[in-house]
Amino acid sequence: MAGKPVRPVNAIDQTRRMLSLVTYLRERPGARVEDVARAFGITEDELVSDLDVLPMCGTSFRGGDLLDIDTDGERIWWHNPAALGADAAEPLRLAADEATALLVAARAVATLPGLRESDRQALLRATAKVETSAGEAAGASSRLSVTFESEGGVFADVDRAISERRRLWIRYYSPARDEVTEREIDPIRLVSVGHTYVEAWCRRSEARRTFRLDRVAEIRILDEPSAPPEVELRDLSEGLVQPAAEDPEVVVEVGPGGRWVAEYYPHDSADELPDGGLRITLRTPDPASLRRLALRLGRDGRIVSPAALADSARQAAREALAAYDGIEAAGARDGAESVSGAGARPGTGAADGQHDRQERAL
Amino acid sequence: MAIAKAERLMNLALCLLGTRRPLSKRELRESVEAYLEAGSDDSFNRMFERDKDDLRELGLVIETVESLDGEIGYLARRDSNRLPPITLDAEEAAALGLAAKVWQQARLAGAASGALQKLRAAGLPEDVDPYEAHSALEPRIPVHEAAFEPLMLACRDRRPVVFEYRKANAAQPEPRHVEPWALECWRGHWYLAGFDRDRGAERVFRLSRITGKVRSRGSRFTAPVPDVVTVRETVASWAGETADRSALIRLRTGAGYPLRAKATGVRELGDGWDELEIPYGHGLDAWLVEFGPDVVVLEPAELRADVVDRLRAVAKG
Repeated sequence: MAGKPVRPVNAIDQTRRMLSLVTYLRERPGARVEDVARAFGITEDELVSDLDVLPMCGTSFRGGDLLDIDTDGERIWWHNPAALGADAAEPLRLAADEATALLVAARAVATLPGLRESDRQALLRATAKVETSAGEAAGASSRLSVTFESEGGVFADVDRAISERRRLWIRYYSPARDEVTEREIDPIRLVSVGHTYVEAWCRRSEARRTFRLDRVAEIRILDEPSAPPEVELRDLSEGLVQPAAEDPEVVVEVGPGGRWVAEYYPHDSADELPDGGLRITLRTPDPASLRRLALRLGRDGRIVSPAALADSARQAAREALAAYDGIEAAGARDGAESVSGAGARPGTGAADGQHDRQERAL
Repeated sequence: MAIAKAERLMNLALCLLGTRRPLSKRELRESVEAYLEAGSDDSFNRMFERDKDDLRELGLVIETVESLDGEIGYLARRDSNRLPPITLDAEEAAALGLAAKVWQQARLAGAASGALQKLRAAGLPEDVDPYEAHSALEPRIPVHEAAFEPLMLACRDRRPVVFEYRKANAAQPEPRHVEPWALECWRGHWYLAGFDRDRGAERVFRLSRITGKVRSRGSRFTAPVPDVVTVRETVASWAGETADRSALIRLRTGAGYPLRAKATGVRELGDGWDELEIPYGHGLDAWLVEFGPDVVVLEPAELRADVVDRLRAVAKG
């Protein structure tokens, strides 16, 4: 499974882990390093570094009983489990942050539209039990919440296709080109980061692509087996958009009302301008896809380069205006300040770049 | 070589958990090797206070008891530190295993793993992973905002905060004094709801617009905390998802799929154009302009004027 969880080495986490470890090892003489590491969700190296520290620990005010724990690299032996009184090795109650972290995550996953009902029920049962066991420590967990968005029907079909290893046919909307295309894809995994995406091998482009579920206009599970080539799954913790170094550069200057661009578009740099605006430099494989952005920005910003992109936005705006010549001009308030904006903000389908790898909108 | 902090914390924890009577600071200092090496009383005292705080963060309930002769003693009673019995089946264990991997924020990722490890130590069934498909589902909670951790702690401890906040259209940030109630993540972005002391009312803040440090104030909350804090509804209305009117547009055939998906009515005009009725909420003008010459606004006049304004700005640009 890809996307190694974030696990910083710090004294707090290590202490927390070692306290659980002594309880766990006490019950399991000769436990295998491999099994313990898996049960604790850590690497064998991390476990071994804990096993290096434990023999330095004990309740020495009783007269120097350090924990006599050692390992031959394969199994772990604790030669003096009595060094800790039976009750000093009992499982510890959950801390407020621990209860919050686990409960908020479990509740969030349980709300994923399209999740299998059996999974949802298991999450809800587990959540209720942890709440009860955590007692007061669970209280603060209501102060954090997370919603994952997903299209339930599409999610369920993708989930089924993955578990049955079958190919999918989809009609997919690509905002960069404002077009809906048909593709056959071999799904690899479902990723929820705010929105839910399916990562898949796209048979049309013969490449790995990420599709946002709410842009799937239609979906069918095919009878053909899914056969994605072995691909290394990316760690998505840095975000779904990872522009390549060789992608062309786009420079955008925005006024104060266009600062949101820096929040939605991954960029190389965003320099403050004297008027409270920003000069933003970003990279995209297909600069033409940013015409949408130029149009949306209106008077809140402009494309500095490439010139061709700035021209195409101007051209599109002129063409669009021409259509209004035929309609009565009443109500057109030339130069008037638009009152509708507490800030231009991308709407649901907005602000996306090329194809499917550019996922950055709301 | 200095003794590692984890070793010091572990020794202090084991001493406090293992004792049946309160241990004085002096006794603890003699029991933990790192404290013997601490040098001056001052540096020991600072270290000891920090360590107690750290262990309390880990959930250890440490009691302070004053003896008859006025000496302070410390202990972690087993009754107050024992995990109440909890029995989870394999499916529930797998569900929690999935949940524990969701956080991408260091502190909460560590806390979630720690919770799972405590439950493992208490006998949580191990990875039988009854659904193979679980490995193909990866929910992730992104946290890119630096303000998240201090605000999370302030919400938890109900501490007022002050931070610099730049409103959507503002060039300069302004200080805001807030009693933080709750944080919510929607569509991958974090928002804070709380009582804005300067405005005397509830406000929702987007964390990415907080600049600089979040500082906490020593004072207490002055306004009552509502039972239910609704962040998402407020943010959804910012995003224009609470439409109260409708608009009539012409859309080129084959273009603008998301507009069609939202349309409440579609009429084919037969000349390469369709006529759509769509919900009209905040921000619709900016969205329609994105479609350039493929969209023509028919009604209402106000929306048409806004779109024309925007197009003129781009055409001049």
